[in-house]
Amino acid sequence: MDNTAFKKNKYDILVVGGGHAGCEAALVASRMGFSVLVITMTINDIAGMPCNPAIGGLAKGQLVREIDALGGEMGRVIDETGIQFKMLNKSKGPAVWSPRAQADKKTYHERMLKALREQRGLDIVEAEATGIIVESGRVVSVEINGGEKISAERVILALGTFPNGLMHIGEKKIPGGRRGEPPARGLTNQLASMGFEKRRLKTGTPPRLKKETVDFSKCEPQPGDHNPSPFSFRTTGIDREQILCYVTHTNKFVHELITRNIDRAPIYSGQIEGTGPRYCPSIEDKVVRFSEKERHQLFLEPEGLESEEIYVNGLATSLPVDIQEEMIKHIRGLEDASIVKYGYAIEYDFFPPHQIYSSLESKRVKGLYFAGQVNGTSGYEEAAAQGIMAGINASLALRGESPLILRRNQAYIGVLIDDLVTKDIDEPYRMFTSRAEYRLLLRQDNADERLLKYAVRYGLLPKEQWKEGIKRRKRVIRAGIRLSGETITKDICNKALKEVGGKEVGEAKRAGDLLSRPEVELSMLEKYLPDGPLKLSGREKRSLEIRAKYSGYIKRQGKMAERFIKMDMMKIPQNFSYMDIGALSMEAREKMEKFKPETLGQASRLAGVRAADLSIIMVMLEKGRKEKRG
Amino acid sequence: MGEKTIVALGTPPGESAIAVVRLSGGEAVAIADRMMDGAKSWESHQTHKRIIKDHNGEAVDDVIAVVMRGPNSYTGEDIVEISCHGSMHIVSAVIEEAMWLGAVVAPPGEFTKRAFLNGKIDLAQAEAVADLISSETKLQRSVALKHLTGGLSKRVRKIEEKLLTQLSLVEISIDFSTEEIETYSNGELTEASRWIRKELEELIGSKVAGRKLRNGIKITLSGPRNAGKSSIYNMLLGEERAIVSHIPGTTRDILRERIHINGFTYYLEDTAGIAEAESEIEAKGISVGIEAAAAADMVLFVIDGSVEPGERVYELAERLNIKRKMIVINKKDLGLKVGRKEVQKITGADSVIEVSALTSEGFDELRKWIYSNTVSLEIGKIVKEKIAINLRQAVALKRTMEALGRMEEGVSAGQPAEILSIELREAAAACGEITGRSISDDLLGNIFSKFCVGK
Ligand SMILES: Cc1cc2nc3c(=O)[nH]c(=O)nc-3n(C[C@H](O)[C@H](O)[C@H](O)COP(=O)(O)OP(=O)(O)OC[C@H]3O[C@@H](n4cnc5c(N)ncnc54)[C@H](O)[C@@H]3O)c2cc1C
Ligand SMILES: Nc1nc2c(ncn2[C@@H]2O[C@H](COP(=O)(O)OP(=O)(O)OP(=O)(O)O)[C@@H](O)[C@H]2O)c(=O)[nH]1
Ligand SMILES: [Mg+2]
Repeated sequence: MDNTAFKKNKYDILVVGGGHAGCEAALVASRMGFSVLVITMTINDIAGMPCNPAIGGLAKGQLVREIDALGGEMGRVIDETGIQFKMLNKSKGPAVWSPRAQADKKTYHERMLKALREQRGLDIVEAEATGIIVESGRVVSVEINGGEKISAERVILALGTFPNGLMHIGEKKIPGGRRGEPPARGLTNQLASMGFEKRRLKTGTPPRLKKETVDFSKCEPQPGDHNPSPFSFRTTGIDREQILCYVTHTNKFVHELITRNIDRAPIYSGQIEGTGPRYCPSIEDKVVRFSEKERHQLFLEPEGLESEEIYVNGLATSLPVDIQEEMIKHIRGLEDASIVKYGYAIEYDFFPPHQIYSSLESKRVKGLYFAGQVNGTSGYEEAAAQGIMAGINASLALRGESPLILRRNQAYIGVLIDDLVTKDIDEPYRMFTSRAEYRLLLRQDNADERLLKYAVRYGLLPKEQWKEGIKRRKRVIRAGIRLSGETITKDICNKALKEVGGKEVGEAKRAGDLLSRPEVELSMLEKYLPDGPLKLSGREKRSLEIRAKYSGYIKRQGKMAERFIKMDMMKIPQNFSYMDIGALSMEAREKMEKFKPETLGQASRLAGVRAADLSIIMVMLEKGRKEKRG
Repeated sequence: MGEKTIVALGTPPGESAIAVVRLSGGEAVAIADRMMDGAKSWESHQTHKRIIKDHNGEAVDDVIAVVMRGPNSYTGEDIVEISCHGSMHIVSAVIEEAMWLGAVVAPPGEFTKRAFLNGKIDLAQAEAVADLISSETKLQRSVALKHLTGGLSKRVRKIEEKLLTQLSLVEISIDFSTEEIETYSNGELTEASRWIRKELEELIGSKVAGRKLRNGIKITLSGPRNAGKSSIYNMLLGEERAIVSHIPGTTRDILRERIHINGFTYYLEDTAGIAEAESEIEAKGISVGIEAAAAADMVLFVIDGSVEPGERVYELAERLNIKRKMIVINKKDLGLKVGRKEVQKITGADSVIEVSALTSEGFDELRKWIYSNTVSLEIGKIVKEKIAINLRQAVALKRTMEALGRMEEGVSAGQPAEILSIELREAAAACGEITGRSISDDLLGNIFSKFCVGK
């Protein structure tokens, strides 16, 4: 296949970047019926994973489920190429369960590339985008390799860590977007010259080891789940042999080694100016900041079934290679291990996202969207989530429809994007469940209940999927009604409760009340139901259980959300002039000028904006509205 | 509009015979109905005589209530105006009761804002409405800050710290469960929660003292006629409130106003000058004045220093048997016939001061005396050592307590972390209404800085 040729010089939508954001954006846009061209520097790194070989995880797993419910690809690809699956937080309540899988990096890439190649109306070209052409405030085309121009109605920038990427290993600095790949310079600098603000961030990755040189017998094995639950609700089951991961630890010697050589670490020598993520510290960071800890956990994760490489999760570092060698030698199980790839840190430019709307379209240039790491996030799932939203919204714009803005009580994706457009991003942004104030509403098990309707409305998934969902929900509700009517005698209650070590009851109870207790599981309770077991699928049972256990809290969060939604419905015109309103506090005026919130709800989430400021804006908005009406 | 129902004092704060408490919003009538047990009909724009009872069933006050149904009301929403007796004690009890029933204290400028949004105020007034919101906010904030100085803020911050730590540990168990790191334990969580609730109980308990402080510490001006009491009253007030004249016996009824000195609120009383009674009305006024002085927290006994005070004056001064008494020798500008030392000698009083209500000489010293005597008062001590909280703060702290109570129940029922977190967050949010800090915004920052998380 000729990777440098593309069929046309005009597309509906151009996607620059073939990372996780770019792939989802391109796929969804062409599925919505538009012609799409993906411009990427290296086709071989389409959907590449420069860091850990895993998809999902705490809060990220929920993101993948949501991407899937919107008709995205990530969930299906990992279901097909994952080599170990685990539901995290199984010991907690189901609201915070998160699926995670070890990925086979190579087949993941191949499977995603196949999806792109097979997608009708989607072309790929291997080239560097070196500039965008803007005419009267709107993007009209993209320049590639410093020459040829391709026109489009909409352009999505998903540039990842490539903008002015600079890698650090000890004292050595290497310009590049990731290991072995050149940085992208022209485009970012052009954007900056057009007035886009850019800032610098940093992230890092650990060394990779040669598999056959690691002594796994000295490490503790970590198996996956017996019954893997798929990410995609379109996957019927995963029946594949799963690999093992292993755990080992750093130790005092390693910590001393790092402390002794700390002045050679770029983050401490002043060589790095970008801010790194505090939740993803390098090993040198951990050793310095938490010197009282005697050891740190390391996970040894294979990069694939066939791969010869082992990823050392927990050992991200940019220390010089000789120190990395020395470190490895002194870790249990790795004494004889040889490093295939050294760990490194990378600094790159991002465009602070107060410059985009919550549709991800830039405020400065019409038709230009930003998605993924360029918005200051970090992580494959965060990138993919923005990618699919940018793809949907660029397509909706071409259809002349208003953008899809998911609210904070609808999806983690909503939380993610809302945070981006209302917060000062000063470290790479990663999703956590604690960022979601309506966490009980945003569960991995109900992602389709929440989002499938959009996928169906936009023609991304067949209607049957939606109808199926409604039928499922009805069955669950009916079963719930049955349980709340069914009485279990005192003796049987206590027999059941004894089985799970629960507190005894003094009288007969309704089955529904028993189920609402944290210790009572439906699978156990079913045995004691006077009218016999429920006719529900496993998934429906889980759903019933969650409803019973959380019902009061879910209602409470729902009510709370309603109050906030009202504010999110109140739009603020973009030309609203805050500086003229003397009654606003100075801090509020500056914040609002910078972020230009689209709704009163967004305004309320800006740091430094107080209730009185919102009242004042409401008054001035009303004035504007009435004046317009005349 | 589905906005929350708001409640606020409608008449300017200060002791007056009648105070008006105003409710506005969709629930206004329902709340009023429940406060005024037994009310049957609420015809609009009619007066209704009712009794307000608190949620324990105790009668608070006889009131007159008027309902104005929206949209024909000031705000355009349903409004209930409750005219109750003017004591601040009663007013705050009425407001508190409305809050128990779900009303929220009106944010600054809220009535006017709603009136504007509902088209009750002319468009041209938008800026004026905005300015009103802003200036009332500034006022409220400066008052709130004063309340938060010293003891209260320290204790509330400590509570907040504890909440943040426990919440962090709970969240770590969810968001960082794959790491080898300490998380919450049911035991410690319950212990911390109990400690906080005990602390809160104490804080809320001090509300009684707080109410006294809000209503004002009573200072009575007493002394012979024509000594200049009303002049001093006006001077302390900063405006001409009492009638001053050279005719002895000008003041007949007691006048009361609120003044502020160094953050304390005083409730200043001007009384009729003491003399042999001449008319019956006067005689009554004078005896009321003497009673008032006896019930005061402090007395300023004013004498005219430009004339030689007679026996009787000294006798009166001594007769007022009250601990915190200052003899104020007035009219210094005219030249004093009697000095501080002499008065001290004759009356045995500790505090004697020379002032002029005409030139304001000596008033700084007078204010200082009032302040230092306040601090030695019982309530003054509470303010210095403990704290005093206002109604809004008390309600917020009660919500904190309730959420923690629910959390403890959750712990013993074996609820998982994500449920406990909901109650902890609610407790923190309520607490944050007092301090203005949002714990959920600080949460991840706190976790990253204090705990070694992340791979
Ligand atoms: C060293 C390193 C460590 C990391 N560590 C972590 C971690 O610990 N945890 C974590 O969650 N995430 C980590 N990440 C981040 C994670 O890889 C990214 O968040 C994610 O891949 C971003 O996806 P994306 O689609 O935005 O961009 P990328 O996956 O980076 O893809 C960008 C794509 O754009 C293309 N491109 C860029 N510029 C141009 C141009 N001008 N013209 C044409 N094509 C262009 C590139 O070729 C590439 O295909 C790390 C990344 C790196 C490099
Ligand atoms: N020169 C001078 N005159 C004063 C001073 N204080 C009060 N006067 C005058 O003294 C007269 C009486 O003052 P009031 O303040 O009315 O005295 P009072 O004590 O309230 O009198 P009654 O209400 O009648 O008991 C008025 O004519 C005042 O103007 C002062 O400090 N200097
Ligand atoms: Mg007088």
